[in-house]
Amino acid sequence: MNKKRDRLQIVHDILKAVQDKNGRIKPTHILYKSNLSHQMLDEYLGELLSKGFLIENSTKTGKTYSITQKGFEYLQKYRTIVDFIDSFGLSEPEERRI
Amino acid sequence: MPGWFLGYDIVLHLLFALVTLIVSIFAFRIYRLSAQRQPKFFATAFLFISMAYLVNAIMHFFIISKLNENVCSAFKLASVAVLELIGAYFYIVLFSIGLVTLTYMTLRVRSVKVYCLLLITVLISFLFTAEPLQLYHLLSSLLLVYIIIHYLINFLSKKKINALLMLAAFAILLLGNFHFIFSITGGEEYYVIAHFFDLIAYLLILLNLILVQRHEQKTRPTSNRA
Repeated sequence: MNKKRDRLQIVHDILKAVQDKNGRIKPTHILYKSNLSHQMLDEYLGELLSKGFLIENSTKTGKTYSITQKGFEYLQKYRTIVDFIDSFGLSEPEERRI
Repeated sequence: MPGWFLGYDIVLHLLFALVTLIVSIFAFRIYRLSAQRQPKFFATAFLFISMAYLVNAIMHFFIISKLNENVCSAFKLASVAVLELIGAYFYIVLFSIGLVTLTYMTLRVRSVKVYCLLLITVLISFLFTAEPLQLYHLLSSLLLVYIIIHYLINFLSKKKINALLMLAAFAILLLGNFHFIFSITGGEEYYVIAHFFDLIAYLLILLNLILVQRHEQKTRPTSNRA
């Protein structure tokens, strides 16, 4: 097992945390469940929102996040995604931006 | 190419086009589900490779069929040689785009500039050579070496049979590529051997995909229960 969680695993953990809270969760709960730093969580949430896995809801008590159909599909097919990416050498690296 | 092999190569190229298309479709499906960049590049690369084989098969079919002369007159092409040259250029360009995309994926950088530089450098070089086919095999060998290094590192870190299959497939493709070079300068039999190597390589890639699919089917009931 990898010591460091890869991106797919982290995305899975975040989406699972949202799903486990009946599809709606506060950011502090995601932070607690996903075991990420605040900065890392912000980056991941931004990515998941832009890619349509999560949607942000503004309420009187603050922001909440809910999972989309695409997010549910990701959780359902997570094992297949990991298998394919591992088998064909397509894991997302720590990127070097140029 | 030996005369007796004409026709067989069309069948093989159609088979390669089909295998690479299936892999591409599956990779696009993974990209749609995961929104990861690597499967997108992989799918795009295999789509171009599939198109390259398809174009090559169609062009060879035109050349050997009786339709050939009609097509030539319709497009006012002087001879079969011109048709073959056009087919070869389409094949070279499409396959090169596929390999450059695959190589860019293995470089693990996020830069449109790097991708464009690679692509332009490779494609523009074909305009300034009298032997585009030789240059193509030389450049594709170089790109394949980079791809093999990526899959070697992947295998050493994962130590899985699937990773080994991909490493073996690309190593065999490189071996096939060397035989294509030998077939230009040496004997015709190398052209047949090269196709044989390519066949093994694409079957290994297909086997890898089948193993992933089988694993998906095995795990499906468990995930449903959960």
